[in-house]
Amino acid sequence: MASVNILDFEILTSLGDAKQTISSLLESKSGISSKEIEVRIPYYAFKDKVEQNQESIYALLQNIVAKIVRKLDKEDRKSTAVLIGTSQIDWNLVDAINASAYEYKKKPYGSQKLSIDSYAKSLSREFGLNEFTMSINTACTSSANALLEAKNLINAGVFQKAIVVGLEVFSPIMSSGFYSMDLISKDLPKPFDLQRDGLVLGEAVGAILLGKDESLWSIEGGFSNCNSQTITAVSSSGEECVEVMQNALTNSALHVEDITALKAHGTGSLSNDLAEINAIKKLFCKSIKFTALKPYIGHTIGASGVVEIAMLQECIDQGFLPKTLFCEKPILIDFAPLKEHEKCESGVFMCNYFGFGGNNTSLIIKKSDA
Amino acid sequence: MTLYIKNYSSYIDDGLDIKKELKQRYKIDTRRQDRFIHLAVYGAALLKQKCEISANDELYLTSGVGNIDIVQKTNTYMFEESEALKLFDFINLLGNTTSYYVAKTLGITGKNIFQISDNFTYINTLLSIYSSLRESKKDAIICTIDLISNPEQSIKRVLGVDEETKVVSSVNYQKLSLKKEGAIASIEFDIQSYSLDKLKEKIDMQKAFFSPRCSIKKDTDFFETIASYEVNRAIKERRDMVFVDCFEDRYKIIKSKNEKLY
Repeated sequence: MASVNILDFEILTSLGDAKQTISSLLESKSGISSKEIEVRIPYYAFKDKVEQNQESIYALLQNIVAKIVRKLDKEDRKSTAVLIGTSQIDWNLVDAINASAYEYKKKPYGSQKLSIDSYAKSLSREFGLNEFTMSINTACTSSANALLEAKNLINAGVFQKAIVVGLEVFSPIMSSGFYSMDLISKDLPKPFDLQRDGLVLGEAVGAILLGKDESLWSIEGGFSNCNSQTITAVSSSGEECVEVMQNALTNSALHVEDITALKAHGTGSLSNDLAEINAIKKLFCKSIKFTALKPYIGHTIGASGVVEIAMLQECIDQGFLPKTLFCEKPILIDFAPLKEHEKCESGVFMCNYFGFGGNNTSLIIKKSDA
Repeated sequence: MTLYIKNYSSYIDDGLDIKKELKQRYKIDTRRQDRFIHLAVYGAALLKQKCEISANDELYLTSGVGNIDIVQKTNTYMFEESEALKLFDFINLLGNTTSYYVAKTLGITGKNIFQISDNFTYINTLLSIYSSLRESKKDAIICTIDLISNPEQSIKRVLGVDEETKVVSSVNYQKLSLKKEGAIASIEFDIQSYSLDKLKEKIDMQKAFFSPRCSIKKDTDFFETIASYEVNRAIKERRDMVFVDCFEDRYKIIKSKNEKLY
């Protein structure tokens, strides 16, 4: 399978932009704070509050994409598609419902074609990009899947380049949903720790520019499927995760021994971590260096695909693999996430995303030696 | 770009009690699901009767605006009635929940994508499928679905249509392949969009079918993924078709060819 190159990236997390996020990682700082829903829950919020409306969310996207497109000339932009991965509520629908369904909120009729993809459409118009836009919602795998779809579109010659955006902004509905499922931790996400008690959600936005121009970074391949045991979880044995990771290797024409390190999904939830660690053990048999990034920035759901890959890239560009925070007693002693930052300047990295709705995705990225 | 259609299913709202039909005729468990999921699953059940589906077929679902019913339900609970969010309403709120139930109905365990494009969502999804199949060498199933909410005005506000426009719910499936063998039809499409003047140079305007979104002819009830329905209707009526979809004065062409005629 032909690879595509990662030409640029930008992120904004609870820790700040890419440089600020990685400098916090180096100092083992977490961006955790809290939010109020029915109760106060731990949460990784942006430093500057983003309102739950289309204008504020678009301003966030505009800022990130403006940085990505500045290196593209007019011709390049015309052949650049925009794909967004998000599990964000569509506020356009909420506004339409409010204006029509509740007597006291009714507004005079007005109609404009809007959807969750309207953000991408506006970005395309504002920055002179191709009119092809797409928004993918496959929960935690949304922007990881958007990366794979963009890769296919470029390899098929449909577009020269694609900007893939991951987006997640605080939503009381999403947070209440996770809370009602008893999936939110009381204090901290502790991926792969015996004492883990749940995940902690977070806000993030990120964009990755893909294309065929020269770059040290590439997406070698990946695999996505929908084979979970139930709509909310993979089986504890991790069989479904093994399948998706193995297929990602096959798709990239690689073997387990080619993998330098693994970025785990590592949410800190009881069942997901157990399934993933069992899968890691089954696939890698002896050992593998791996880490989880969610203790730094939270589980950013639809944004996690793009944002965690960009974070990993920035870490490797700065010469290290980040340790996993808050894991003191690992589930499996022989398969513990990194306890200290480790020197690493290049290699092949597997990135896992296992989510709700049965969707599981594994991507393989590579940084060649300079 | 060309994709071959191996089979299809179509349903346009005719008042059928879909939940009852799923339970009684197809013996499908409808619990914990909502009307949008029921409609998608019903279309899948119709397709499954007509053709063989492989577990590795890639599944793509697309829609004009998605499941507006569930957004209304959760919005009402949380912000109008100050009630706690119900577990399965939260799960159904995620776009790929519908895809999950469709995948289970069809026996698919492979790729499963729920995506929406603001403009040309059917054609853009065909572009994604075409690109994906070139890499994977598999076949794909496309589900296009639009469900009208109550009150209808909510969905009309985000469709960009006049208040008087008649809207209807519909679900349409096609099994797609890059291989011609066993195909009943083919569809040709492109990334290119045209101005009206260019469109007139490209096609015979008298013979083409137009989406009601185009101001040229308005003779059909509207739903965003009507192009998919018209492709299926052309196959059923054993005819070739040129279909024009429109978005803000830009036009895209889909050519559907009945392979059984040739």
